[in-house]
Amino acid sequence: MSLKATSRKNAVHVMLAYTGGCNGCEIEVVNAVYSPRYDLEQYRVLLTWNPREADVLLVTGTVNRLTLEPLKKIYEAIPEPKAVVAVGACAIMGGVFATMGGELGPSEEAMAPLEKHLPVAAKVPGCAPRPEDIIVTAVKALPLLMGAP
Amino acid sequence: MIQESILIGPQVVLILAIAILVGSLLPGFERKVQARIQQRIGPPILTPGFWTLFKFAYKKKMHPNSPMPSLYVSLLPISISLLLTILLFSSPPFIRLFPAQGVVQHTQTAFSATAWFTVLGWSSVVAVVGLLKVEELLYVLIGSLSQSVLSVGMPIPDLARGAKVLGFRREYMEQHSAVRAFKMIGIGSFPIYITLIVPFALAKSVFVEDLIRTQNPGWMASGTFGLSLATLPRSPNILTFPGAIASIAYFVGFMILLNEKPFNILKAKMDVIEGPLLEYGSVYRTFVYMLREAAMFVLASVFVTFFVGIPLDPFQPLLLAIHLLLIFVFIAFEAVMAAFSPILTFRQIYPISFTFSAIAAFALLLAAVM
Amino acid sequence: MVEEAKVVEKEVPIGIFHPALIEPWRIRFFVSDEVVKDCEITLNPAHRGLERIMEGKPYEKAAVMTEKICGICSSSHLWNSTKMVEMGLKIHVPDRAQYIRTIVQEIQRTTSHLIFLGHALEIVGHETFAMRAFLIREMFMDLLYYISGNRVQPSAQILGGVRPRCDIPPSLGRVILETVDRGEDAYTKFVERLLADPLVMSRVTGVGILDYNTAMRLHTVGPTARASGVKFDWRKDPVQNPAYQAFDFNVVVLDWCDTKARVATRALEVFEQFKILRQAVKNMPDGPVIDRSWKMGRMDFTDSYFEAPRGELYHSTSLDDFGRIRHYKIRTPSLTNNASMEEACIGDHLTDAVLTIASCDPCLSCTNRFTVVDLGRDKTRVMTGVEIIGKYGRRRRR
Repeated sequence: MSLKATSRKNAVHVMLAYTGGCNGCEIEVVNAVYSPRYDLEQYRVLLTWNPREADVLLVTGTVNRLTLEPLKKIYEAIPEPKAVVAVGACAIMGGVFATMGGELGPSEEAMAPLEKHLPVAAKVPGCAPRPEDIIVTAVKALPLLMGAP
Repeated sequence: MIQESILIGPQVVLILAIAILVGSLLPGFERKVQARIQQRIGPPILTPGFWTLFKFAYKKKMHPNSPMPSLYVSLLPISISLLLTILLFSSPPFIRLFPAQGVVQHTQTAFSATAWFTVLGWSSVVAVVGLLKVEELLYVLIGSLSQSVLSVGMPIPDLARGAKVLGFRREYMEQHSAVRAFKMIGIGSFPIYITLIVPFALAKSVFVEDLIRTQNPGWMASGTFGLSLATLPRSPNILTFPGAIASIAYFVGFMILLNEKPFNILKAKMDVIEGPLLEYGSVYRTFVYMLREAAMFVLASVFVTFFVGIPLDPFQPLLLAIHLLLIFVFIAFEAVMAAFSPILTFRQIYPISFTFSAIAAFALLLAAVM
Repeated sequence: MVEEAKVVEKEVPIGIFHPALIEPWRIRFFVSDEVVKDCEITLNPAHRGLERIMEGKPYEKAAVMTEKICGICSSSHLWNSTKMVEMGLKIHVPDRAQYIRTIVQEIQRTTSHLIFLGHALEIVGHETFAMRAFLIREMFMDLLYYISGNRVQPSAQILGGVRPRCDIPPSLGRVILETVDRGEDAYTKFVERLLADPLVMSRVTGVGILDYNTAMRLHTVGPTARASGVKFDWRKDPVQNPAYQAFDFNVVVLDWCDTKARVATRALEVFEQFKILRQAVKNMPDGPVIDRSWKMGRMDFTDSYFEAPRGELYHSTSLDDFGRIRHYKIRTPSLTNNASMEEACIGDHLTDAVLTIASCDPCLSCTNRFTVVDLGRDKTRVMTGVEIIGKYGRRRRR
């Protein structure tokens, strides 16, 4: 395996962008990283808060109207190669805010699903997804996502 | 002399290679120690320091948001070179290349025939302290030149009608961090600078060569290659009373210079995110990691040279092994202290720095009268 | 609105993506040489339009949505909402169900306080303590998982009682008691170690002062107010919360008024929650867990107050003849708490100000946001926290 592929597989930096939701998915992601029980660092995934240092952008929350533009700016600030992972039901399809409206339709404030705005490479379902699901994504999908030339 | 000067080049290259390679293991080691304290497994040792260097190097080059991008990105290699120069000044090539008249005795070397270089202050306390000061100043420059999207540049309409206090100067968080760096130069650098003078006061000379001679005459007398126990230091500074006190002050000064918790107010994750280094990405991010690794390695190596008397000699395997082992021990202490401290604000940093400067000054006084 | 003259040198904005805030909000600090002279918090990026889509829905559907307001205090919203309709339609709830509801709520309150401690310690910078808090919290997340099937949003309360799956048989009761014992051991050691650490305590003592009068003027609620000497807890109110009257517990009130008090109030409240949990499990009465003999129908305007982990939670609504919601109003504690922190962080260093704002345990997902769109002049305007309280805050009955 080439040096490029080995180094990309062995050190992945993720950044969490929380665009406004119920905070549940976000707490589970932070739990997966910061809790000694689910420690994600042992799987070679390091958490960062700086888009210039990140490889993968984890997006949680319904993408609200005022957070859409900043989210796009953050995505542009990440150097190539990069990937976006949508975590939680709200980021994938809008969660209850898109489906429970009945005849009022989806909520006008929630601009989810994320696929409409950014190219999503992987999705983690759940409301909220369990830390085990997030770890499985990290271990299996993140190195594949970084396999770009 | 002639046969030794042929080996200078390979010696320099070996030292730089060791510094970069062993330095790349240090962040992973530090993170592992902290993880075990926090009762978890932690990343593999190669991941945070070694593989990240290559990974960021293979990313597509990006252009930082900065009023002067070329200056902004060039400040990092300059900073790394300064640190590596400090390492070279305190290691065998420069000590042996320009010895004091080739004779083992306490002598004043300022005006000897082969001493044109001594006027420039190489391989002396002047060089080490001066270069460290310049390295600190670079943080201020880096911070003022960075304009990331994460602070003022965030496209959110908060300057709407009815908002509070419109019309003031808006400052990026990196620029605020540069102001903090300026304060840290003024206040936080005293402990390490006073401490660095203490071993020279004990040796009664400004030259690193005399410093090592008083602690470790066996090494000065030995040849280039060697494996004997006679090269071990006979009277290391750390075992003297002023040296021991100064070591403690050096440790605190080291944490301040490295901007590591508890003194990482200029890189505090919780209000300025990463401070001056926010806009570096891809290849420049490799340099950011190398800068931190170089700082850790060089300052730890200088400690071992000045206070324990073991220089970083790549041609003497026994000394090299002990030197590297002591560097890892030093970094382990730093990791433990960082794991058990919060971020301190200037309310706490001023008194702590003052206290340790006083301790270092006391050690200096003792060393001067001994 | 600070009256005295202030010298402001520059503005340092932070947000909306920031590790200390995590949720998307924007804080503009007006500083002069590291000291904060004024601050403005804007909350609007997190607005999801929940109350709007609840209109016209049958109540049972809206109840699902109330839980998704917040991931940390979800059980408070759901209980408050069902309690409101039960009070309005005079639905009977069996005793066993009230005990189970209390157990689920108190376990979630414990996890909420522990995540506050973990997050506040993360902001102070002490990663080791933060990880320890998260580790202790995991024990209680497991309990929620055993009782209800989900770690984050337990959904235990429904109209007339609790979901039958959430029944607590004696074996699970024993597990709860064991976990509370183990958790209390680990937690006591953690709190003692935390309150004895000199560096952390020097960071939080004496900063973020919110005195009693300011707290009352700005309608601060919950543990944030109790740390400033305000003695009020909705759990002790017999009309609004009859379920809690069966338990014997103290309300923690401190009067140091600084960030240390806010941290300590929540840290000490956890011990009271352990007390309630033990009493609830040991004294649980037998009987059904749900009473389905109610009929949905017209309900006049009813409001309901509850003590969420962050303070006073208010829901109100009225239902039409078919049981559909006319309009739903939610007013969460973080609304006024955040605004009080705007005033409390004045005079501190920037790093301490960020810690102060986090010490009121802000939960933006709960908070209602107001962006006033001025159609006449075609401009958007944000209302500051103090303006919102002036217009929409509710006077507390003393």
